[in-house]
Amino acid sequence: MADDPRDRSAADRFDRYLEALLSDGRPSPEDVTDGDEAEMARLAAELSVATQPGEQVGPDPAFVEQLRLRMRQADAGIDAVRVPLPLRPEATAPTPVGVLGRVRITRRQLLRSSLTAGAGLAAGLLGASVLTRSDLRRPIWDDGNGLVSGTGYWTPVARLADVPPGSAVRFTTAAFDGYVVNDAGQVRALSSVCTHMGCTLHFRPDWHDLRCPCHGASFDLKGQLANGTDRWKITGGYLGDARAYPISLPPLVRPKIKVENDQVFVWTAQV
Amino acid sequence: MAAADRESPAPRGRFEEIYDAHVVGIYRYIYARVGNRPDAEDLTAQVFMRAVEQLDTTRDEGQIVSWLYRVGQNAIADYWRAFYRLPLVGTEQVAPGWEPPEPVERAGGDPERASDERATARVERLLRTLPENYRRVLELRFLQRLSVAETAERMGISRGNAKVLQYRALRKAALVPEVTTDG
Repeated sequence: MADDPRDRSAADRFDRYLEALLSDGRPSPEDVTDGDEAEMARLAAELSVATQPGEQVGPDPAFVEQLRLRMRQADAGIDAVRVPLPLRPEATAPTPVGVLGRVRITRRQLLRSSLTAGAGLAAGLLGASVLTRSDLRRPIWDDGNGLVSGTGYWTPVARLADVPPGSAVRFTTAAFDGYVVNDAGQVRALSSVCTHMGCTLHFRPDWHDLRCPCHGASFDLKGQLANGTDRWKITGGYLGDARAYPISLPPLVRPKIKVENDQVFVWTAQV
Repeated sequence: MAAADRESPAPRGRFEEIYDAHVVGIYRYIYARVGNRPDAEDLTAQVFMRAVEQLDTTRDEGQIVSWLYRVGQNAIADYWRAFYRLPLVGTEQVAPGWEPPEPVERAGGDPERASDERATARVERLLRTLPENYRRVLELRFLQRLSVAETAERMGISRGNAKVLQYRALRKAALVPEVTTDG
């Protein structure tokens, strides 16, 4: 018997159906592969019940009461309970390949993640670059005057010669991880912490952006979300367009910098 | 039954009367055909949730019972479609040899008991038609509720062979129930 290995695997698989059935659990249609086996499964179900003592096949009283409650609510017009429960968990829709995942985030989560991302905020270490201050839309956390005033010190982070136009140099101070970037002659310091969930941004010289490896946000060299246009709202659906991003994000933190004697300094406020 | 003759009681009270009178019967009817509690509960809930929306509670008792069992039968057919993996199968194809639910009038208002008795008789008839080792493996697994390991031990075969044997026994019983001889 069972010389054919295919017999073995079919018998093993079908036994999983039987085991579930005989333990009064929910069998999976996955263990039944064709119409013939479905006939076998149905016969087994019938056999299983017919060979049980009669008093066991009544409904669980708790189930009867629960269903009574659901029906009362439905009868009273509560629409929520009218949605029929699926027999089995529905298969999840396949994720399109090559498309950036859409990020769903509530306003509350967004706020929280912004605060996390700007952990340096707590130490009062934020500032705006003096070079391009007029570009800022002045979000509350980027009020350079308030945040970086008081005592502090300048930390040298790069030599200007090391940052030709279109390039960026990574730096670390007591307050920041970031990049010194040269945006066509404008030198700025940008935090390398994504304002979405706090992942570390990577500089892409060919794109002239800072790209987040977690959810694909892209920030331009002014620190603004570059793929965060509202276009996706109009076209409906985020279809992998690099210029679109499903949510808007605050701009990157921009610490105050100065250039002296070919040396770039970043301001660190003292707590 | 008597409720049908009463002067229009409050709709919700009437509905719960119907529920109380038939939930056990519908559950047993479904359970006897899907063979496991979780699925039987889901389908029973489907029947009565649909009844809340669609059942006309002013109909007479016989019509209400027919309606409930017809909806139950459809729910069972839909359930087995998932196992057949065919996009569209008529109820008659899904359930060849399956009796339609017992008409209420003839079953004396207790269709599930009559169908239970039929099922038991069918099982006995079925087992008698099978070759000895097939009948034996099904008796051990179903009637005595032994595990595969215990069944294999009783029959003096390996577990793998016990699984193959039960597979072949069910296959034979399900697909060619009328044939009584096999080498």
